[in-house]
Amino acid sequence: MGGSVTHEEILSVGVDIGTSTTQLIFSRLTIENRASSYAAPRIQIVKKEVVHRSQIYFTPLRSSTEIDAEAVKKILQKEYASAGIQPKDVKTGAVIITGETARKQNANQVLEALASLAGDFVVATAGPDLESVLSARGAGTDQLSQDQRLTMANLDVGGGTTNIGVFEKGKLTGVCCLDIGGRLIRVENGRIAYVYHKIQKLAQSHGIQLGVGDRADPELLGRVCGLMADQLAQALHCRQADGFHRALYTNDGKSLPENPPIQGITYSGGVADCIYNKMEGDPFRYGDVGVLLGQAIRENKDLAKLRLFHPAETIRATVVGAGTHTTEVSGSTIHYVNGRLPVKNVPVLKVSQEDEASLETLREAIRRQLPLYQPEGRAEQIALAFSGKGYTRFAQIQGLAAAITEGMGEVIHSGYPLIVVVEADIGKVLGNAINLLLDFKKDVICIDGIRTQAGDYVDIGEPVAEGHVVPVVVKTLIFNS
Amino acid sequence: MMDKEMLTQIIQQVVAELVQEGQSKAPGGPAPQKEPARTQPPQEEEGCLPDITEIDIREQYLVEHPEHGEAYADLKRNAPCRLGIGKAGTRYKTLPQLEFRAAHSAAQDAVFSDVGDDVIEGQGLFIVKSQCDSKDTYLTRPDLGRKLSREGAQTVRERCKKNPTVQIFVSDGLSSAAVTANIPDLLPSLLQGLQNHRIEVGTPFFVRYGRVGVMDEVSEITGAEVTCVLIGERPGLITAESMSAYIAYRATVGMPEARRTVVSNIHRNGTNPAEAGAHIADVIGLVLEKKASGTDLKL
Repeated sequence: MGGSVTHEEILSVGVDIGTSTTQLIFSRLTIENRASSYAAPRIQIVKKEVVHRSQIYFTPLRSSTEIDAEAVKKILQKEYASAGIQPKDVKTGAVIITGETARKQNANQVLEALASLAGDFVVATAGPDLESVLSARGAGTDQLSQDQRLTMANLDVGGGTTNIGVFEKGKLTGVCCLDIGGRLIRVENGRIAYVYHKIQKLAQSHGIQLGVGDRADPELLGRVCGLMADQLAQALHCRQADGFHRALYTNDGKSLPENPPIQGITYSGGVADCIYNKMEGDPFRYGDVGVLLGQAIRENKDLAKLRLFHPAETIRATVVGAGTHTTEVSGSTIHYVNGRLPVKNVPVLKVSQEDEASLETLREAIRRQLPLYQPEGRAEQIALAFSGKGYTRFAQIQGLAAAITEGMGEVIHSGYPLIVVVEADIGKVLGNAINLLLDFKKDVICIDGIRTQAGDYVDIGEPVAEGHVVPVVVKTLIFNS
Repeated sequence: MMDKEMLTQIIQQVVAELVQEGQSKAPGGPAPQKEPARTQPPQEEEGCLPDITEIDIREQYLVEHPEHGEAYADLKRNAPCRLGIGKAGTRYKTLPQLEFRAAHSAAQDAVFSDVGDDVIEGQGLFIVKSQCDSKDTYLTRPDLGRKLSREGAQTVRERCKKNPTVQIFVSDGLSSAAVTANIPDLLPSLLQGLQNHRIEVGTPFFVRYGRVGVMDEVSEITGAEVTCVLIGERPGLITAESMSAYIAYRATVGMPEARRTVVSNIHRNGTNPAEAGAHIADVIGLVLEKKASGTDLKL
């Protein structure tokens, strides 16, 4: 209840199934009560430490459109065994499918299967925006930008995509993802074995013809990589975007905001080592253009204008991000019912700031959106979310509880618990109010300290730290195409 | 000697200028006051002094020609502390000096004023007194603040439910401002939280001029299993509105202080009073379950 929880360690796993590589890490998250024992608890994650890094495996594919699920499973089992860790010891974490692998037909099924194999509360996740955030955090760019007091971008240049995350003095200000990567042109026996169609068109727009079976000319492919590096500079607004630029965003995603302007840069991902280090010898030694792309990025004049920093992780940035930066803890005074957690993959019904301004609009916003979450016409598990910042007085909270129970009628009559996720520190009192309004007849889970957006999914774990907090993973949309 | 009117005008003008200056220097701070007093003709009596207690000291940074002003200002946002406020020679600048004195005055007011009857009655509480007859006695005789007056004890005996599971009462303690600010949220939330735990509550009331220790006598008179007092804390220069809940299992007069469990720092910038009430209800639930409080209870 109160203060003297000294600290607790929870084990987290991160699994990244990327375009070219599959990796796994275990990390230890230390949670601690930061409040004195004379005040209400304030439990936070105070330390994140990677305790085991797997080997780096090539992502096993059964065909060009299918992931070899069995082979990935074996990798996981082998790594758990070599780390001496049982899935039941793992309290939280994330399996993430990234880059081109996310486009495979069976990606979703593989992801779900692996998540349950990895541990009870390991969540499945994907999506280029999330990957951009995770890789940048894994690279430590958020911390660097805070320490250096700069606006910094991390470019996670992988096999299939480049994920960009931008932080202004430690605060995330933008993400984007482009179809630019080292394995979008593959080379076998001195000949081009594969070219991704967008890259083929990019080359074509500059009068360079690339075809499968053509001789792999380092000079020519170097020029194509130069074009790709140039597109990255355009994405960072270091250079005016050309007519082709828009087409390169993954899933037609959004570009970075122009402000704040980027001052510093880090690189992570498989290609990063070829950017920071000059590679001698066969440029096609990895069977792709990764080495050439690294070189092109290093030599790009526009990118060179940004201050270059070294990341904490390069090729492992995404997996470290997935293993250490996906889990947050809720506020320390919350309301829940024992036995109803964990819940996974719960879609978030978000009431906008505008709609929560009055109780009427809040209730109506819930009623208006609820059918969207019931595709079959019957109630499904959802989590109601809003900021709650304008509702801190007891009387206001009672009104809020009433509006929620009125709006969420269909969920209340279903067998699912009523889940409410708010930002403001009102979780326990709001939960109490709802519980009494519903006369103890409904399981109510009401947590605070968590910010969500429309379209997010949320996973809520079993309580930790003597029941004060729950681990929470907020995920942006899975597979957005 | 200057006459009073002239003095008022001078103060008005100086303070307005200072507030202007102070705020315009805070990087990213709040927008300057809408209506600077300096634009008013000096002979006019109307208008108002800018309220310097409205300044959020987290947003205030007054160092001139700083080396890393922006970084310092960012750091300051984490805690309300009187740092980065510049200096004039070896002294405070005038604005921080006035703010400091305003905070000190708020603290004194919190101690020396009384909680209005309307606030107390608004919560449906009846009022009893400790053995102190005034604030002066209260401050100089802590021992008297720990005992109910003869009539007070009689009233509690007559009006309170006997042997409740939990006896709640409110007391002014060292900050009436805290009671006025927090009780309308804290008390109903606590009662609702206990209802949620299906814990029976006795008749709540208010003790004027009370010290924490008065809960021991209240516990003995009512025969409550758990007694909980919501009481104003000694005000500081950051807030005069902080209050605490002291909770004891089977409190008795003369028991060691170590048997009290406390939840402190309840105010709008600390633990939000509505949420704190819900938390205290859980703590009381635990006290009942473990039949222990204070150092005997691991929270």
